[in-house]
Formats: sequence, C-alpha cells, structure tokens
Amino acid sequence: MHGSQRTVRLAGLVGLAVAAAAAALFIAAAGADGQAGVARYGGAAWVFLLAWIITMPVLAPWLKGRARG
Amino acid sequence: MGELVFVRPGEQVPVDGILTQGYSAVDQSMLTGESMPVEKRVGDQVIGGTLNKIGAFRFEATRVGRDTALAQIITLVEDAQASKAPIQKLADLVAGKFIFWVHVLSLAVFLFWFFLGYARFFDPATRLTLTPYGLGEIGVFGFAMLISVAVLVISCPCAVGMATPSAMMAGTGKAAEHGILFKGADAIESSSKLTTIVFDKTGTLTRGEPSVTDIRPAPAWTESDLLALAATVETNSEHPLGEAIVRGARDRGLSAPAANAAGFTALPGLGVEAQLDGRGILLGNRRLMQERGVSLGPMEREAEVLEHDGKTVMFIASDGLPAGLIAVADTLKKYSADAIRILHQLGLETVMITGDNRRTAEAIGRQVGLDRVLAEVLPEDKAREVRALQERGRRVAMIGDGINDAPALAQADVGMAIGTGTDVAKETGHVILIKDDLRDVVSAIEVARATMGKVRQNLFWAFIYNTITIPFAAGLLYPWSRQVVSPELAAFLMAISSLTVTMNTTLLKRFVPSLRRSDHVVAPPQTLAPVAGGAP
Repeated sequence: MHGSQRTVRLAGLVGLAVAAAAAALFIAAAGADGQAGVARYGGAAWVFLLAWIITMPVLAPWLKGRARG
Repeated sequence: MGELVFVRPGEQVPVDGILTQGYSAVDQSMLTGESMPVEKRVGDQVIGGTLNKIGAFRFEATRVGRDTALAQIITLVEDAQASKAPIQKLADLVAGKFIFWVHVLSLAVFLFWFFLGYARFFDPATRLTLTPYGLGEIGVFGFAMLISVAVLVISCPCAVGMATPSAMMAGTGKAAEHGILFKGADAIESSSKLTTIVFDKTGTLTRGEPSVTDIRPAPAWTESDLLALAATVETNSEHPLGEAIVRGARDRGLSAPAANAAGFTALPGLGVEAQLDGRGILLGNRRLMQERGVSLGPMEREAEVLEHDGKTVMFIASDGLPAGLIAVADTLKKYSADAIRILHQLGLETVMITGDNRRTAEAIGRQVGLDRVLAEVLPEDKAREVRALQERGRRVAMIGDGINDAPALAQADVGMAIGTGTDVAKETGHVILIKDDLRDVVSAIEVARATMGKVRQNLFWAFIYNTITIPFAAGLLYPWSRQVVSPELAAFLMAISSLTVTMNTTLLKRFVPSLRRSDHVVAPPQTLAPVAGGAP
C-alpha cells in the first residue's frame, strides 16, 4: 500500500477512536444532565459523526508529519 | 490527406487544406471572430468548419480529424476550461478550511443547544422561520439537532467552489469567440494583472517584408518612369530590396519597359549595374554613386531625411546623371499603432524588443508610439530582457511569432503567439491570437480583466451569503425571535448563493471587448509611414 494511503487509513482509525471517545464522553455528560435515552444515544451518534469528520483532516497531516520524522 | 475536395457556395469547408482552384470569400467568424468574409485564392489556406460564401473552389486536404485547426482549438479551450487558476486553488483551499470550521461550528452549536440553550431559552411557541409551523414539544435532541443541521446545510460552500471555474469557463469561451485562445485559466489570471507588453518587431508589429515607400524623381523624370526603370533593372534580382522594387512596380500597375536589362552586374555591398537601351544604369547606395562619380546634389539631403526615419534609400543614375531615389522599408501592420494607443489607454507600458539596429527600431518606436525600444538584442537575449523587466516588478506579456521569440514567450508571465506565426511560438505561448491583428492583444487583456472581475464578484456573493446566514441558522437571534431556520429554508438559501453566482457568471456572456462595441471610437485611418529593417 502507498505510504500516503496508509497514513490516511491510519488517520481514519485514530479519528474513529477519538470520535468514539467523544461520543462516550457525550453519553456520560448527557446522563449526568438527566437526559433520556433517545436524546443521549441520538446525540452521541451525531457527536460521533461530526467528531470523526473534524478529526480526519487534522490527524492526517499530523500523522504524515510524524511519519516523515 | 492529399485528396481534392470541391466546395460549393453555402457549404461548410469540411477539413483544412490549400486552395488549388477557384476563388471565393469564406466566413471564418466562428474561428477568428472576423466580421467580414475572407477572400481565398489559389494557394491560400482554408480552415475546416468555416463557411464558403460566394464562389466554388477546389482544395487539397492537408489536415483532417483531430489535426484540423478547429479540433485543436476545441482541445485547447477544453483544456483551458479544465485547468485551475491560482485564485481557484486559493478558493479551494479557503473552501476546505471553511468546511472544517463549519463542522466544528455545527458540533459546537449542537452541544450548546443540547446542554445549555434548550433549558435556558426554549419556548414551546417556537416557529420555523417564514412558515406557520411551530415546534411544539420538540425534545432537546430534536431541537439541537435541527439547528446543527441547519448550520451545516446553509453553509455548504458549493457556490465558493463554482465561483472561479464557472467564470473561467465563460471567459475562455468568450475569448475563443473573438479568436483568442487561452491555454489555461492561469493565463487568464496572469493576463488580467499585466503591466508591461513587450512586442517583437518583425512579423509582429511590422509585416516583415520590405516594400517601396517613397519615390523621389529628379527633374525630367516622373515617379512612374523611375520606378519602372528600377523594376526593369531588378527584374531578375533575388535581393530582397530588388524584389521589393519589382513588387512595388507591379502593385502600382506599372509594366516594365519593353527593353530588357542587359549586362546586369550585381555589385556586392553597392547595388547593381545594367545597360538599358544603350544607357548605363546604376542602382544602389550612396557609395556606389560616389565611386562612379555621380553627383547627388539636393537628393543627398532628401536621402538623409528618409534614412533618419529608418528607411533604406537606393539611388538611380542614368548615364552618370542622377535620375532619382527610391526608399524601401518594412511596413507596419494595419492595426499596430491602434493597438499600442489602446494599450496606453488601459494604463499599460509598451516595449519593443528587436535584433534590428537602433535607428530602425527607434523609427518604428516613434511611428507606433511605443514607450521603450530595446534594439540590437540577440535572439537568445530576448528572454533575458523579459526577465530583467520581471525582476523590476513588472508583469510582462511577450507578443511574438517567430522561433527566436519562443524563449521570451516562455519566460514572460503571459506569452501571446500570433496565430500566423511559427508552430514553435504557438506551442510555447500561453495565449494564441488566431488572427493577425494586434488589437486582439487588447481584447485578450480586456476579456481577462472582465473574467477576473467576475471571479471576485462570484467569491464575494458566495461568501457573503454564508457569512450573513450562518449566525441566523446557529440560533444567535433565537432568544429574542423564538424562531429557528428550518433545514428546508437553509437549503433554499444555500441554493440562492449558487444561483446568484451562476446568474452573475452568465452576465459575462454579454461582455464585448471595447474594439467590438459599436460605440467604440475608431481612430481616423492614418497613413502609416513604413519603416526599414529586416532583422527579426
């Protein structure tokens, strides 16, 4: 696999983890706020989606820079 | 290729070729933008796709299929429309950053309305903007999600993405209508920023072919007699000046005297000597006359004046007595002076670069009104002179037609090749002017400026909608208005920005270069004094 493709895939995986963490954090915060299940899990899905989209373009150049040393 | 094609009046010329029989006038407007049909005689080139108007003719096909001029023009325009201008790359970069921050904003808006805004500001009487529908008992998730999605939809930067390419597409198409081919969007952007226009001399500003400009007979001689005599002596000459005299006599309808020149002797560096009806005829320069003891008298002063204007003067003597003088010079192209004048009106500096001698170059410079003349520049140094101008902060266009202009065309910010010039020049140039009309330089710059103006307007309209509407979509005014923007309305507003950009671009179709406008004041026809010189 080409180096840059590998970096993009890695950025996708790391972004996935970051987004999942953000969604988990959201569920915890919404639970603490006393929100119902639909709001809690629906909101978490939306947060997960946006967080993944946001982290991808940030992580990809950062990982490329690290790969170049 | 090589086949003979017969074209009747009203038919379209199917392929490129050389006319071998017949005569006609061909409408080439679809390729060159020329309003008048162009006369075609035997030996002239005909272009595939053009329309035969009056006569029938036969021509030999020289280029077919994708090799025809029309096919190449279509390819060039398509390539140009697909290419990206620097400003487009910037717009794409900005759009990319914009998308990122819109997603961040959408997430922030969602979190705000989910955890803080809903509890503090939500009112069950909330309505969707511009609709009679209320939100009723919508929950916190639905409310925050609604606003977050509205932000995403309303800020879609599709209008930003299309602002530049749509204008570039319209601009290159408009230029092609007028016989100007931009090879890329970057050529349009560069052409809009030019400050200095550098012209090659021979073949660009001038015809590159000497012709008779002045005939000054001595008393007892007439102009016709003198020119006919000179033409008879030079009938078999292969010297460019001799050919110019023969051509000059033919153009004036003069037939050479019945007698033929006998004892024709070419005197290298001096002129020619011949016997005509028993008379000894000398035709040549001042040195020849001095060596043969011909007293030039007041003709000497006339010759100096003509030479000061860059013309080459040849004296004629019959039996040792001066018969007159003939001045020969390269002549300016029809619209050279017009083009320079309008370029000055556009605030551009004009420079000529030539390998010709300083006197001739300066004579041309005076006649067409150039700001500067760079004379005696070797072909390989032309690019260096262009670079020197660029290093002084100038944005330079080089206009040329010859092989020797190619390095300078490549070096310049914009290289404009005359379509009648060499293939090397056309290959190297960033812009091709299909017609041999220097006023197209003006049109090219005007179209480029109009296109870039349209790009800037489009970017303004694309961003202003987003900038104004995003705060509304994010619910900035909700605490006071109790209204939220629905995703449908957000989509409508987003489409409005794209629509505005598209409509604004289509206005470029109405753009007409100043020289094509009916209200354009054309300078009165001027008798362009010809100039001497033959060096490129």
